[in-house]
Amino acid sequence: MRPDSAIEESELVARSGAGDREAYEELVRRHADRLYAVVLRFVADREEAQEVTQEAFIRAWRGISRFEGRSAFFTWLYRIGINEAKRHGSRRPSTEPLDPQEDPRMLDAPDWSDAPQTVLEQRDLRNALDRAIRTLPDGYRATVVLRDIEGLSTREAAEVMELSESAFKSRLHRARLAVRAALDEHFGKGEW
Amino acid sequence: MIGFFRRMRFMREHRWTHQHLSDLVDGELSPAEGLRAEEHVRLCPQCHRVLATLRRTLSELRRLGDAPAPPVADGVIERLRRQGGFGPPTP
Repeated sequence: MRPDSAIEESELVARSGAGDREAYEELVRRHADRLYAVVLRFVADREEAQEVTQEAFIRAWRGISRFEGRSAFFTWLYRIGINEAKRHGSRRPSTEPLDPQEDPRMLDAPDWSDAPQTVLEQRDLRNALDRAIRTLPDGYRATVVLRDIEGLSTREAAEVMELSESAFKSRLHRARLAVRAALDEHFGKGEW
Repeated sequence: MIGFFRRMRFMREHRWTHQHLSDLVDGELSPAEGLRAEEHVRLCPQCHRVLATLRRTLSELRRLGDAPAPPVADGVIERLRRQGGFGPPTP
């Protein structure tokens, strides 16, 4: 008998849809860690991320017999996870709408593209990035998380968000510019 | 007058390039569009700086994704088994 790790994902999905728990557990093994990393970007802390990841897999199990396989399993799963995370997040105050305009005060900001980074500065930069990502409205944050942090292709990420590729790219660009502008402020304050 | 039209053309290219910087970074412009954007970036210090810092931003974002995700799969499976998450799939 083949080990579960060698089985094609489509077969695991089909078996899960027929109620095979072991097949579904293998899908959990393959995707839980990355889903948790995605969800963590939308919720308050690790405990909540664990809870949301758990809930997403329960929902996916309940719905897997209706999953038609028109998209990859993980894009369907990520969509469930992000929606679940947003539901949790909606209990908190929402972020400001995204303003795509460049802040004119920052037009003279230094070019920090080659700024050297010590370990300490790198940690500060990661914190600034994390804050910038968390400040994005959910629909924009998801574009950066999926495309730039998780490395999905434009097509895959657009599929997760149920957007056309052009709508996704437009949103992604605005989100990236907002994160970049936040780093302008970070570096403009001489934090490097 | 020539200066006015030159400025208008520059601003038109500036707006277009600014809207397409992500596509340029992602290599998703056609060859002609790529040349158009690069030509403007060469002439415009602001777009040059935004492009350079956008590239650095993306490189830093990718580094966030390189960090290994904490292992949670076993915990999820355990809780699915224990808390009755494995009810029958909904037909």
